[in-house]
Amino acid sequence: MPGLIIAAVIVGIFLIIPIGMYNSLVGKRNQVHNIFGTMDAMLKKRWDLIPNLVSTVKGYADHERTLFENITEARSKAMSGQMSENQKVGLENSFMQLLGVVRATVENYPDLKASDNFMHLQRTLNELEEQISAARRAFNAAVTDYNNAVQMFPTNIIAGMFGFTIKELFQIEADEREKPQVGGLL
Amino acid sequence: MKTLEELKAFYDTELVAELRQLEAKRKQVMINSLIAVGVVAVLGLVIAGAVMAQGGPPFILIFFLVGGAIVGGIAFSFISKGYKAEFKQRIISKIITFLEPGLRYSPQGLIDRQTFKTSTLFKHSIDRYRGEDRVDGTIGQTQVAFSEIHAEYKTSSGTGKDRKTEWHTIFKGLFFIADFNKHFKGQTVVLPDTAEKLFGGFGKMLQSWNMSRDDLIKLEDVEFEREFVVYGSDQIEARYILSTSLMQRILEFKRKTGTKIYLSFTGSNVYVALPMTKNLFEPKVMSSIMDFEPILDYARDLSLAVAIVEDLNLNTRIWSKE
Repeated sequence: MPGLIIAAVIVGIFLIIPIGMYNSLVGKRNQVHNIFGTMDAMLKKRWDLIPNLVSTVKGYADHERTLFENITEARSKAMSGQMSENQKVGLENSFMQLLGVVRATVENYPDLKASDNFMHLQRTLNELEEQISAARRAFNAAVTDYNNAVQMFPTNIIAGMFGFTIKELFQIEADEREKPQVGGLL
Repeated sequence: MKTLEELKAFYDTELVAELRQLEAKRKQVMINSLIAVGVVAVLGLVIAGAVMAQGGPPFILIFFLVGGAIVGGIAFSFISKGYKAEFKQRIISKIITFLEPGLRYSPQGLIDRQTFKTSTLFKHSIDRYRGEDRVDGTIGQTQVAFSEIHAEYKTSSGTGKDRKTEWHTIFKGLFFIADFNKHFKGQTVVLPDTAEKLFGGFGKMLQSWNMSRDDLIKLEDVEFEREFVVYGSDQIEARYILSTSLMQRILEFKRKTGTKIYLSFTGSNVYVALPMTKNLFEPKVMSSIMDFEPILDYARDLSLAVAIVEDLNLNTRIWSKE
């Protein structure tokens, strides 16, 4: 009889530990998805601002045509919804550079820079950029947490059995990294 | 803040005359105190002598010594009270408004207990809550308030006659509140890291099990992680508040002041607690007040609070919150 109890306990332990590991892996993966979702929503919010930005700037600097075309093109790509996660990241990075060009261009139009509409836009964009950057960092932290669990012993055994694969981190481009966090106003 | 030269000029033109009047008062306080101490000492000796003459044991002298010191101390603080209050009102208040025209000083005021609790920096229940030297107003564009706070809890042991009550400090030092420059909904708390320093990765695991706090926020700044532990109600919002630059600024501030730092971001405000043993904005009684040095010292006390606003960049308002 005692032998039976011991056996039951051992079997129980061997069941409970893998279940716990499996659940923690699922929890970590969901955390990654959750944060990616939030980040995606913020990126979309920013894309929604773009037509507004374009029309405001156009009022003062109508002849910067190619710039507007590039921005509008980037936006329609982003809104098409037919991009993989990696493509999305690539587009985000090139769009950041485009915004940099807008910033430089605006410097030539003091009236535009001082207009209420533009100041408001600038604040909203700053806000979103800061939120997006926070979301990226949260995403990377969640992915690292998840990847550690997938690759480290003993959870890697469970991860291998149930097909948990490591996820890609958001890369921040070198030139973006050099940009000061709060400087370089639009 | 003003420069050292400006403060010196202010001292020469505005303060010296008032200080001279107060110096006379201070000397009077010293004389009165000496008289009081003398009276206490003579009285104590007479009574002690009488008791011993009646056949009291010699160790009773120690009892009288301690008792005399306590009575003398009370008499001293009683005598110097009026002078201290006047000094704060006339001198310190002037120095503060000179250095930061947006600030008002109330010597007896303090950050109230509810506000202190709202920060959730210190979770222990409070039995005694005291404070002084409250300053209110604006530094640049930022609304601030701060004061000295001493929060304690008590423990009792034994029963009846042997019952002993001990007081333990929860927090003593400068408590500071400012309007934060970004909007947020949840709560983020930054505490000095002890577990991780002692136990490394295992400490981190222990921190993630801390039930009395929100989720552990793991930040990517290695140096910041070594010094602080962060809990927050929202992973993204915590990083929105603690931008990479703010983390660096907090580290820099810690290096500069050399004290522990507690920060809490809640209800659109930032709460900063700096534990310190020094009594800020305290008038000198024992030594001359005519020197420039003590004045400079008050300016340093204030600069600590101003540094929070400047070093944490609270005046920069390029986000949607104006």
